[in-house]
Amino acid sequence: MNGLTPGMHLVLVLVTPLVGAIVAWVLGSRGYTAVRQSAAVTALITLVAAIWLVVRYLMSPEAAAGQPYGVVTLPWLVDGMFDVRLSLGLDGLSIWLFGLSALLSLTAVLVSWKAIQERPVGFYVLLLVLETAMLGVFAARDVILFYVCFEFTLVPLFFLIGIWGHDERRKAAIKFFLYTLAGSVLAFLGLLTIVLWNASHTGTVTFDIDALTAGLAAHPLPMNAEGGWLQLIVFLALFAGFAIKVPIVPFHTWLPLAHVEAPTGGSVDLAGILLKLGIYGFLRFSLPMLPDATALAAPWIFGLGVAGIVYGALVALVQTDLKRLIAYSSVSHMGYCVMGLFALEPVAVEGATLQLVNHGLSSAGLFALVGMIYDRYHTRTIANLGGIAAKAPWLAALFMLFTFSSIGLPGLNGFVGEFMILAGSFQRAWGGVSAAWRTAYLVMTCLGVAGVVLGAWYMLWAVERVLFGASREPPKGAGTHAPGTPDHGHDAHAHASHAAATDDLAWYECAALLPLAVFVFWIGLVPATFLGPTAGAVRGIMQPSARAFAARMQETRVPAGTDVVALPTLSHTP
Amino acid sequence: MPTALETFLLVRPEIVLVGGAIAAFLGGAFAGVRRGWLVAVAAIAAALFIAWAQPGAGLLAADAAGRGSIVSGPVAIDPFSVYVRFTVLGLGLVLALVQAGDIFPAAVSRGATVWRGGTCEEAGTFLLLLAGLALVGVADDLVLLFAGLELVSIPTYVLLALKRTDSRGQEASLKYFFLSLVASALFLYALVCLYGIGGSTRFDAIAAGLRAGGDGMAMALLPVALGMAMAGAAFRLAAVPMHFYAPDVYEGTSPGNAAVLSTLPKVAGVVVLLRLVGLAIPGPLGDGTVAPGAAAYTDLFWQLAAVLAALTMTVGNVMALVQTNLRRLLACSSIAHAGYLLTGIAVAAAAAAVGTGGGRDAIAADSTWLAGLGGATATLFYLATYALATIGIFAAIAYLGHRWPEWTSGSGPRPPRQEITSVEDLDGLSGTNPVAAFAIAVFLLSLAGIPPLPGFWGKLTLAISALEVDWNAPITLGSRRAAFVALAVILVLNAAIAAAYYLRIIAAMYFRSTKRGVQADGGLAAGIAMLACLVLVGLVTLQPRGLFRTSAAAGGAISRTPVVAAADAMPGSLATPVATNR
Repeated sequence: MNGLTPGMHLVLVLVTPLVGAIVAWVLGSRGYTAVRQSAAVTALITLVAAIWLVVRYLMSPEAAAGQPYGVVTLPWLVDGMFDVRLSLGLDGLSIWLFGLSALLSLTAVLVSWKAIQERPVGFYVLLLVLETAMLGVFAARDVILFYVCFEFTLVPLFFLIGIWGHDERRKAAIKFFLYTLAGSVLAFLGLLTIVLWNASHTGTVTFDIDALTAGLAAHPLPMNAEGGWLQLIVFLALFAGFAIKVPIVPFHTWLPLAHVEAPTGGSVDLAGILLKLGIYGFLRFSLPMLPDATALAAPWIFGLGVAGIVYGALVALVQTDLKRLIAYSSVSHMGYCVMGLFALEPVAVEGATLQLVNHGLSSAGLFALVGMIYDRYHTRTIANLGGIAAKAPWLAALFMLFTFSSIGLPGLNGFVGEFMILAGSFQRAWGGVSAAWRTAYLVMTCLGVAGVVLGAWYMLWAVERVLFGASREPPKGAGTHAPGTPDHGHDAHAHASHAAATDDLAWYECAALLPLAVFVFWIGLVPATFLGPTAGAVRGIMQPSARAFAARMQETRVPAGTDVVALPTLSHTP
Repeated sequence: MPTALETFLLVRPEIVLVGGAIAAFLGGAFAGVRRGWLVAVAAIAAALFIAWAQPGAGLLAADAAGRGSIVSGPVAIDPFSVYVRFTVLGLGLVLALVQAGDIFPAAVSRGATVWRGGTCEEAGTFLLLLAGLALVGVADDLVLLFAGLELVSIPTYVLLALKRTDSRGQEASLKYFFLSLVASALFLYALVCLYGIGGSTRFDAIAAGLRAGGDGMAMALLPVALGMAMAGAAFRLAAVPMHFYAPDVYEGTSPGNAAVLSTLPKVAGVVVLLRLVGLAIPGPLGDGTVAPGAAAYTDLFWQLAAVLAALTMTVGNVMALVQTNLRRLLACSSIAHAGYLLTGIAVAAAAAAVGTGGGRDAIAADSTWLAGLGGATATLFYLATYALATIGIFAAIAYLGHRWPEWTSGSGPRPPRQEITSVEDLDGLSGTNPVAAFAIAVFLLSLAGIPPLPGFWGKLTLAISALEVDWNAPITLGSRRAAFVALAVILVLNAAIAAAYYLRIIAAMYFRSTKRGVQADGGLAAGIAMLACLVLVGLVTLQPRGLFRTSAAAGGAISRTPVVAAADAMPGSLATPVATNR
């Protein structure tokens, strides 16, 4: 298939889910089995095509040279002041998240296999549309295309939560949508300002992200009183959008509600991919384009990241609902990504980028497993569960695996990311900040380490209560809503054709989880496979901010230079 | 020397519309009441065809270099008026279908209809309204402008009054009548003041008067003229402070009439305001300064428009948050959208005074965006995207018609069916009428500005045009740039607020269930109108360029003074690289 150019290949990957959505819709009249099968086949084809594309990327000269791969550019709105293009391409920063989106979309379809029997057409169509949007965010090379996909992900998820969610689904869907929308419209203005600034200083109207990065490097936005602190204003506007999406504490309140109410498939996509968009946005825009403002804000956002780690962990500790517990663990784990990112230390930023994938795998796996437990016992209340390990050993084993991945057991993926983030943060704290900040940085980093302990505590405690101990059956009616509500029984599936409580994992559940498990081990054992391709891109992107930060801290050290924890040592951690 | 015949020939489409109206009025006496809307649809289609075949239609397709205008007597055919004419006729065709559907309910024979049969009078009146609106677009003279506006207002009273079947309908028609009279009177004062400035009713003479400026009495009238004009236009836009009638009137009339009210008067308001902005764009006077008279005019203009824009969108959205009645909610939404439209007009006015403020800069030097034509473009683009979505929703409501109340056999006689009035009446629509539910959801998301729907492209153009004002000046407190940055922020935050109530409707349709059947008895024509809007929305989503180009051509022509030629000669213009990019 040498005839398939990378660009066409990329377009095919993006279009396949849409075609699959149409097929699923057409097959709608033939019952839900046909629909779910076609959705699974579509997701599988997309995944295979995406993996193949990733492999091609890794072997391409562009990857070695740090160039975007598979570039396709079609005019969209090109007229007068506008130069908006359907411009696609992959690079080291987006490649793993792109692959992860394809992987988790298959998981999302498979975990819904039996759980969604009501209005299946809409459900699978929306899942597939969401897949295209998620892939599109990571493949977008145009600001407007990025924003379109970034924002459009809200629409399918809004319906997924609102129609197939649990008791408070309407409130959750609307809150999720509005909260994230309110932030991202401000980010939109920030992005437009960047485009205008670039246009007025380079004389070329372009919406291309790479061109904008280059343009802003040559003509930085003013960061002084004469320039009206424009860079800081733009940074704050982008922060509003991305911080809510991550979410950074204290902008996280939409997340637990949305997660708890979402159907399992929606939770998988939400935790696995959509939370990454915020960090990805910081990496794509804030760090390379707004270095001075990033350097100014970095200590504070670093602190917010640490606050998120500790706060998320403490709140998770007291949860009685298993899914809510994992939702708060997401808040805590995204705190690590924020911390690593704003440490502005190469090793930490690389770790944060890897941690995005790690968290995508472990949280998606855990949410999927919680969904499977809910399918069997119709409750997520920890107190009502117990002794699952005896009844469903495979389920328990996978739950343990993803738990260990989540808490950072050495040898699994979570360890690599957290270690790199914490190592980088310590490096920053010891040698990378001025004396005035050193204590604060040390304290914050130590708190981040404490978060690891807290994370192990709440996760293992929950595992102990749910998987082990005396076998427990939920009391009648627990976890399900009162029958006869006027709503079109959204939870009707809870009463029909379900895995009996004692069943272990079915084939589709294994198929949903095992690929994730493979990557959990792979990243944990050979992280170099995954760190290598991103390292160059990440360092290039963080360079301006790291320089600005160093200048702000009045240090002459160039952070991307020598004193970096060498990658090979990390690849042999087990 | 233009002859009267030449002038009349330029307004052939409008003459066809009036002819159609007369045919509908007279023919109704002989051919039975039901043919009226067929005549209307045919007349609008004929007018569209004639407008297409007429010289001047090509103006829209021409790019900057080929812009020109045909002026004859009080009539001017330029890209702007051609754009307005096509918009009016296109929207008119869809609106006529909505009305036709709502006047001939398919279920009339099944009894129990609360809508009376349609009349030819309504069809004829509607045609007159369209003719008046198209005349507003082509007017190059205050008298024709005012005559056109009255030809919009008076048929609207009649349309509303013909529908007054209950006390709410009476309230609606009376309220609209009296307020509209006040607005017309205020606007007439404004025109008189403008006449005083120019010494003539012709636009070019008034523009020249503004340019000359400075002669005491006339310039002292400027604030009066602008205030009055703004009030008159605000009524048509349903903008603060003349907005409060909208919820009552929409609630009291039929969905078809509400669709008319929420779009066509707004077109009139936008056209009038942009023409008034155009008066102050005489082009740079050699050294890049603008005459003080024009500068005073535009300064006052943008300040008024910006304040009203911020107030209108906020008030509209906050009012809409608490509405439960569907038509009242959409009325508030249309108020909010008037605020967005005013944002573009404020930008157009602010940048029209280029050369007086922060200096000429790279972006403003682009020939298209010079003199705030970017704001005009954005307004016209937004107007079209707004109108498509809004008409689509009302078409869907008209199409859906009634639904049965909850009833089980054995619990007494079946209660009569009810018109769809509240948001709850749409509960579970996705189950009972999935196509309509999908269409309404798409229209609502477009109004909310969710990408990549047309509303998003509209807000994109508006936001970018607002951010561009005084681009090179720093954002300092009280500066013009700060005002417009603030306006852009208010705009996008309002878009987020607005999403709350649009989502409420979507949530009702998709997240709830119902046992009440929806009849879809509003008639096939309204259904076709709904689908037509859906298709158009889809087209603009996939390729916004066509609509954007025509809006840009039109927005670049709000003043017939050749600003373009002057700007093209300027070095450092952005126009050149853009052109090579294509």
